[in-house]
Amino acid sequence: MNARSLLCSLALLALLPTARAAAPVQQIQATLAKPAVMCGRFDQTKQLTGIKKPLQAYGRFCVLKGRGILWQTLQPFPSTLRITRDAIVQIQDGRVAMKLDAQQEPVVKMINSVLFSLLAGDLSQLDQLFELDGSLRDGHWQVALKARQPALAKAIGDISLAGASYVDKVSMKEASGDRTDISFSAIKTGDGAMTAEEGALFD
Amino acid sequence: MTKPARHLQRLLALAWLLAVLLVAGHNAWLWLGQRASPDTDILALLPAASSKDAVRQQAFSHMVDSAQQKLVVLVGDRDWKRAQAGARAYLTVLHAHADLFAPISDDSAQWQSQWLDSLDRSRTLLLGDAQRAQLATVTAQQWSQRALGGLYGAFGGPRLGAWQDDPFGLFGDWVQERARETPVRPRDGMLFVERDGVSYALLLLELKAPAFSMQAQEQVVPLLAQARQAARAQADEVVSGGVVLHAAAASAQAGSESATIGAGSLLGILLLMWLTFRSLKPILYIALSIAVGCLGALSVSMLVFGKIHLLTLVFGASLIGIAQDYGIYFLCARLAAPATQDSATLLRRLLPGLALMLLAALIGYLGMALTPFPGLQQMAVFSALGLVFAWLTVACWFPQLIGPQTLRATPRAQGFGQSIARWPDLLGGFAWHLVLPAAVALIGLSIAGVARLHSSDDIRALQKSPPELLQDQMRISQLLELAAPVQFYLVRGASAEAVLQQEEALREKLQALVQRKLITGVQAVSNWAPSQQRQQDNLTLLRRALLEPQGESPDAVTLIAQAIGESPQWAQALRQRMLDKAQSITPEEFLATPAGAASRHLWLGQVDGQFASIVALRGLTDYRQLGQLAAVAEGMPGVQWVDKVGEISSVLRQYRIYMGWALLCAYAAIFALLALRYRRRAWRALAPPLLASLLTLGLFGWLGQPLQLFHVLAGLLVLGLGVDYGIFLLESSRDQRPHAWLTVGLSAASALLSFGLLALSHSPPLHAFGLTMLCGMLLVWLLAPLFTHPGPVAHATPDAQPDKESA
Repeated sequence: MNARSLLCSLALLALLPTARAAAPVQQIQATLAKPAVMCGRFDQTKQLTGIKKPLQAYGRFCVLKGRGILWQTLQPFPSTLRITRDAIVQIQDGRVAMKLDAQQEPVVKMINSVLFSLLAGDLSQLDQLFELDGSLRDGHWQVALKARQPALAKAIGDISLAGASYVDKVSMKEASGDRTDISFSAIKTGDGAMTAEEGALFD
Repeated sequence: MTKPARHLQRLLALAWLLAVLLVAGHNAWLWLGQRASPDTDILALLPAASSKDAVRQQAFSHMVDSAQQKLVVLVGDRDWKRAQAGARAYLTVLHAHADLFAPISDDSAQWQSQWLDSLDRSRTLLLGDAQRAQLATVTAQQWSQRALGGLYGAFGGPRLGAWQDDPFGLFGDWVQERARETPVRPRDGMLFVERDGVSYALLLLELKAPAFSMQAQEQVVPLLAQARQAARAQADEVVSGGVVLHAAAASAQAGSESATIGAGSLLGILLLMWLTFRSLKPILYIALSIAVGCLGALSVSMLVFGKIHLLTLVFGASLIGIAQDYGIYFLCARLAAPATQDSATLLRRLLPGLALMLLAALIGYLGMALTPFPGLQQMAVFSALGLVFAWLTVACWFPQLIGPQTLRATPRAQGFGQSIARWPDLLGGFAWHLVLPAAVALIGLSIAGVARLHSSDDIRALQKSPPELLQDQMRISQLLELAAPVQFYLVRGASAEAVLQQEEALREKLQALVQRKLITGVQAVSNWAPSQQRQQDNLTLLRRALLEPQGESPDAVTLIAQAIGESPQWAQALRQRMLDKAQSITPEEFLATPAGAASRHLWLGQVDGQFASIVALRGLTDYRQLGQLAAVAEGMPGVQWVDKVGEISSVLRQYRIYMGWALLCAYAAIFALLALRYRRRAWRALAPPLLASLLTLGLFGWLGQPLQLFHVLAGLLVLGLGVDYGIFLLESSRDQRPHAWLTVGLSAASALLSFGLLALSHSPPLHAFGLTMLCGMLLVWLLAPLFTHPGPVAHATPDAQPDKESA
């Protein structure tokens, strides 16, 4: 029986539902808009140990409630990541560079759900996985997330979110010292938010 | 009878009493003191060394041992949360009994990071087939793009450790490829499998006590049932499998069968005796001889074998049917003898016949003892010992216990005895014109039936597990895509390296079968720890594709450095970082790591001066295609296809044929034995069992019953018992004939009772055995008087004047 040996790589996530959200978190939750479709621009800066210059990239993202996430890097080179409940697909140069099937890798559903919660600011979902420490002032809020499970903490490090009606900023700090900052701007919601090309990627 | 002789008989009786007390004491010590319990492992019934190939033996026991103690439970539900709750409920029940199960749950995430650590220093050398193909074709430019994609991407897919450790994602791909060897994944701190929308939580339990120990089964099975119930309260489906469940079902069946067959046999015999003698005494005497026989058989068998199999005991229940013959013979002869003849003298008259009966039966068992099946040897030795002990009890004690006045036959018994007079003397010559055509037709029909016989030696037909267990087992294999434990390739070579290289060649050939969906995958140590040659090859491939410039165009690492504005030194450091993780790994090193734990059963290491390993197949479901799998090994030196099921079946076939000859030899040997005493009349004792066996086989042929080893073995016993009846009847004078017939009737009826009940057994081998005995013994009973008819004129038997002889 080989099962035990092969519980692989992707799945570092051992999760258990736990305590309820603290009071400020519930207030923060209340200030967030929860649109069905939300698209905008992202600017990402990555600082990696061993690499002098920060790596900067930007592109467009869409978060579709109940369907998934589209993450299109436009610069420095185009690459599209589509995350749905069923699969994570990376498209580069018009061909599929990587595909993870949820059927094969159940962690795909997990990743989808965490990323969706992060981008949509669904703190109640995140509360199951992370200890949330939030503050709220004048409609602006900030939340620090610390993974409840050591394995998850090791895999993704500390995360902090900041925003008002929408999530404006996501910062991820890994134990290795790598740091990723993503800021969101030009957020549009509703039917016109997504371009036809983007819509096509979801069909 | 002279005084010294009488004295000697007393002495013998006393000596035997001593022996019986010893045996009884030994039994009490064994069962009460030592708490010995019978063995129920069906594998113990198979030949210990069907082939003398030690490597093969070890390969098989390796595979079996690793599977034997495991218990697999899947708790399933459409809702994963409910499946989890069910699994937790299951474990909660078991947690209270940590003494029965080895540590069950562990933190899979924690454990996983450990196993990745252990492979880390060799990661650069570990490449899957797809990656090798890509390294050979994809350009440095494309590789650099791929690496940059991972570097820039916010959620760039799975990554193990820092980007610099695996810039091209090769190790990640390799780990993913290894992960595809099983559908099981960790999820929420549990192991998870999904099929058709149902989520299953997988629980792996390890039994601490041996799966075949009855005591363990008695504790484990109710506990598992309770755990199952607890889980079912939460989740829809619970599927469980494990050797212990099958073993427990088998022992429960055999245990209850042993009880019913044994009790039924004994009750039937007691009733028969009551109807014959209307007294409790003969029953007690015969029960005494049987009890001594059983105790003696148990005692000596335990001394000889060290343990005793449950099936031996089931078979031993049938022993009651033969051991009584000696007692019955003496009792019936006592009825027939004049009151003036004392029992000691009577015994001396009976001794030649009694000795012949014992010898003939022992010859019958000898054939069984000569098979290489440990189980059959045990049964033969057990039964033969039982007979010897029962026989000695009759010989030593009965003359002392039973005087001329002790017994009186009931009218019913006398009536039955007299009925032999109504048997026609078919061989007497008065009706040849009727008898001959009928006999020719019957024998011809039987021969035609025998010609229609087909044989079945499939070992799987010998073990019948309850259908729900088999169903669960199938479901588990399907869900987990388990490797087949009894069909695999055995790879051998002069060194570990040679074995790994051959494994790699074999895996490449098997890819074609994976593509044709005959199997879903291959488990092999070389998947994890490639041969040194392959590791070097991988490094060369990787250097050329990623680390070294190709003509004018720079290497992939340089391209990455340029893209992110890093210096050539940085690029060199990255190259070096990859090369630092290129330390070669040996299979022994791999197996010592946590990652290697699950592959340990595949690596046999050094055996008999050579190295060997197992390449196991996953997802093998179509057993008709085994020929194609066997064909893959052809022409590959050191690679051997092992199909234990097929192998055992072919051994069963060989021994069915071999036992057939042994049976014919037994007929010849017994004929020689009888000819010493009966001269030209010896054939008359042998014809009934011979004819009965032929007719029985013919009947099976016409009924479409496939012939197997156990039919032939039953044939041996038909011979052993049938010869007794010939001896009873040939030993008796014309006056004694009714009593001899009573002896035959009592013995045959009780043999039918005990062996007839074996035909009711759910164990296929015992059923086949019992059915053969049922038909065969019935026919022997009916045929025996025909062949031993004293004829119309007074025709003295060789023993007609026994008194003179003994005087």
